[in-house]
Amino acid sequence: MALMPKRVKHRKSQRGRLRGNATRGNRVVFGDFGLQATQAGWIKAQTIEAGRIAAQQYVRGEGRLYVRIFPHKPVTSIPLETRMGKGKGEPEYWVACVKPGTILYELGGVTEEQARVCFARLAHKMPVRVRFVRRRPV
Amino acid sequence: MSAELTVRRRDERGRRAVRRLRRTGEIPAILYGHGQENIPLAVSAKAIDQLVHHGTKLVDLRGAVHEQALIREVQWNPLGNEILHVDFFRVSAGERVRTTVPIHLRGEAPGARHGGVIEHVLHELELECPVGSLPERLDVNIAALDVGQAIHVRELELPPGARALAAPDLVVVHCVLPRGVAAAEEELVAPAAATEPELVRRKPEKEEPAE
Repeated sequence: MALMPKRVKHRKSQRGRLRGNATRGNRVVFGDFGLQATQAGWIKAQTIEAGRIAAQQYVRGEGRLYVRIFPHKPVTSIPLETRMGKGKGEPEYWVACVKPGTILYELGGVTEEQARVCFARLAHKMPVRVRFVRRRPV
Repeated sequence: MSAELTVRRRDERGRRAVRRLRRTGEIPAILYGHGQENIPLAVSAKAIDQLVHHGTKLVDLRGAVHEQALIREVQWNPLGNEILHVDFFRVSAGERVRTTVPIHLRGEAPGARHGGVIEHVLHELELECPVGSLPERLDVNIAALDVGQAIHVRELELPPGARALAAPDLVVVHCVLPRGVAAAEEELVAPAAATEPELVRRKPEKEEPAE
């Protein structure tokens, strides 16, 4: 079961545009190292989960992994072989809207080498370009 | 401990002027405090980057001004890789200031050898401290930290005259047993019941009794 909100105000949402950079959620806050998006895009709930599992299997309970994004946005689609019209399709999956600068995952309690290897495995699963970042000085 | 920083008075103002300034390897800054005039400054990007990454809080400004100042705020670009602007706050020797200092862990915890995981919970602490004893960072010795133990804010060794502004019961670092992969994987998985979230609906107003 992929991530999705418990309660929503509306079942369907408009697509919208991803403009500009992330002005929130762009600092490593909980862990020591982070994986930062350098591109904008939608990340599916399934992809967030796949990344989390890939990282968790590498860390094996030694370090602490933090997932900093959540899929708040429903995406609808129209079934195959359906005639056009008849309204908007049904919600199919959920996505997190990511802007350049957003920290996707954080890792604490591991060395930098371990964190780099872990995030490299995780980065392969991401649909946006990402980079490794350290905690910003206070 | 304070470091020397050479600054230049900045006459150019506004977005386009500071962008030009940043292209030349300088960063706009401002000096304020003590009810005196605000002075716009320009500092070398390389020098301020080194100071900030080193954790220096107190600087002796030289060049256009001769004053001691606290680096009160550093503005970063959204990707967090470039400093955009720095605020310097005038301070005098005996003054007490409020600032945030990073917390570093020192030593090797015996709990880690006994199968525990060290979780660093609080990475920075807000302090009220005399300028003279302002630390660059707080070192926390975890050489006695075993599984199931924690170090709280009240147990931190602060410099003389310093006071922590965080709650004394706040955990700084603790050593816990690893939760295991299975437990960690269960952590985020939502309950399998609903395939679609519940809708937030306005409750229907009570019907008025029929006349």
